Amino acid sequence: MKNYLFFSIILLCFFSKTSFGAPLISGISTNEINIDTKFKGAQILLFGAKGDAGNIVITVRGPKKNFLVTKKQKLLGVWYNGARVNFENSYSFFSIFSTFNNGDIQEDILQDLELGKDYLNFSTSTKINEKDKNNFKIELIEKMEKNNLFNNGANKVEFLDDTLFKIMLNFPKNIVRGIYTVELYLIRENSLISFQSIPIYVNQVGISAKISDFAIRQDMLYGFVAVLLALIVGWTANYIFARFIGK
Amino acid sequence: MQIYLPIAEIPVNIILVLMLGLMTGFLAGMFGIGGGFLATPFLIFIGIPPAIAVSTSTNQIISASISGLLAHLRKGNVDIKMGLFLVVGGFIGSSAGVFIFKLLQKSGNIDVVIAIVYVVFLGIISLTMIRDSIRNFLEQKFGYSSTNANSKIITSILKFIDQMPYRIYFPKSGVMVSIFVPIILSCGIGILVALIGIGGGFLMIPAMVYLLRMPSFVVVGTSLFQIVFIASNATFLQAITNNNVDIVLASLMIISSAIGAQIGTRTGYKVNANNMRSFLAIMLLGVCIKMLFVLFSEPKNLFIVEILK
Repeated sequence: MKNYLFFSIILLCFFSKTSFGAPLISGISTNEINIDTKFKGAQILLFGAKGDAGNIVITVRGPKKNFLVTKKQKLLGVWYNGARVNFENSYSFFSIFSTFNNGDIQEDILQDLELGKDYLNFSTSTKINEKDKNNFKIELIEKMEKNNLFNNGANKVEFLDDTLFKIMLNFPKNIVRGIYTVELYLIRENSLISFQSIPIYVNQVGISAKISDFAIRQDMLYGFVAVLLALIVGWTANYIFARFIGK
Repeated sequence: MQIYLPIAEIPVNIILVLMLGLMTGFLAGMFGIGGGFLATPFLIFIGIPPAIAVSTSTNQIISASISGLLAHLRKGNVDIKMGLFLVVGGFIGSSAGVFIFKLLQKSGNIDVVIAIVYVVFLGIISLTMIRDSIRNFLEQKFGYSSTNANSKIITSILKFIDQMPYRIYFPKSGVMVSIFVPIILSCGIGILVALIGIGGGFLMIPAMVYLLRMPSFVVVGTSLFQIVFIASNATFLQAITNNNVDIVLASLMIISSAIGAQIGTRTGYKVNANNMRSFLAIMLLGVCIKMLFVLFSEPKNLFIVEILK
């Protein structure tokens, strides 16, 4: 919290005293999030100033992942995994803030730049008709919204004066690791005036991350350790009980 | 107190897992079984994904079996020669099992298959045990006895076995049998070991007695001998093929079940064997019924979303 305060004071001084040429300028309080076992989510403060007319849109996009959406089906009363659609390279996190009002006409450029959950591209190699694909896509988006990983529309950009604005970027506890990008767009009359992109590095730290890395990167050694561990513990338990407690 | 499981990617209550391990270990020690077919369903019931429950259970079986094997080795109750033939078949079977597991996981239905196989197995075992208990009870009370209808089938199977080629002599057991019998037998059980996370002792032991005609003093030790190898192979292959051995969960289960098994073995000496068997049978039937509910109950979400690694 101290950092935030210090940071915002510096930023405020900087922006209010200086006249600047850039149409859009911004900074964030930190660009690193470390996930450990006690991780409860994180907040990052974004400050910025716009030096030109137009609407601002700010997005946070998580690393792209492959998503598998499976539909449960029933056969003779037994629920099994039926149809499945694999969405390749979809955002694992998406959050958007803007100065557009709900009533505003949605401009084509928002669609082109994927600015909005309805504008996000979901591509799949699964052979499926358009209607079914759309249903699976809706399910995927709904699930992501439910898990607070997709965040759409309601967030407004808060202005401190005519040019200065700030927003709080929320990262829930279930974010995946990887490189996230905060993107700022200045849009006027259906064209992009200015664009800025800031990376945020989300790392997993602590013992459980090390173990899962170990299990995947050095699977042979991991398997060997698992077997050896079981042998040693079984052996030891047998020895201790036989030695000290008796048969 | 919660602990995060790195492979299952969910937090679990440490105390709950330790109690579970203690209980399966206790029952395993008491009844002289490996406990895999209790541990796996219990893990599933507390919310561990079935695929991870199975692989983690094979890891735990290694430790449960080595401890018993050591005791039998000291007493000289292991037919190593027969054990090695069983290990050959078991390696083939468990490797095939892990491969089948991978295919099922790819098609998305490993969870359903695990549950169905459990329902069938636990159903058959528990009902057979209950039938035997009732028969036992009737014999003791009223002197009623029934003829064993199975003996005819076994005689004809034995006739077939005796005609198989490559018969060799196993000095420890004092039997002459085709090498294909132990290999085929343990191959079949090996598939189950990998697929549903059991040691398979409850199938192997009767098969050794009735089909291989081994004397009873070597049966348990030899069965444990091959289980240690097969469970090790299955665990190793699961770790490198399917990445679903959770070493944190396994450690908790291993330690608590080892302690439980030691207590269970000692308790087992003191209680009535027939009552114990009926109790186990009813318990297995309960697990079977609970598993049926897992299969038939409507899922909370009709759609599942997962991130592929």
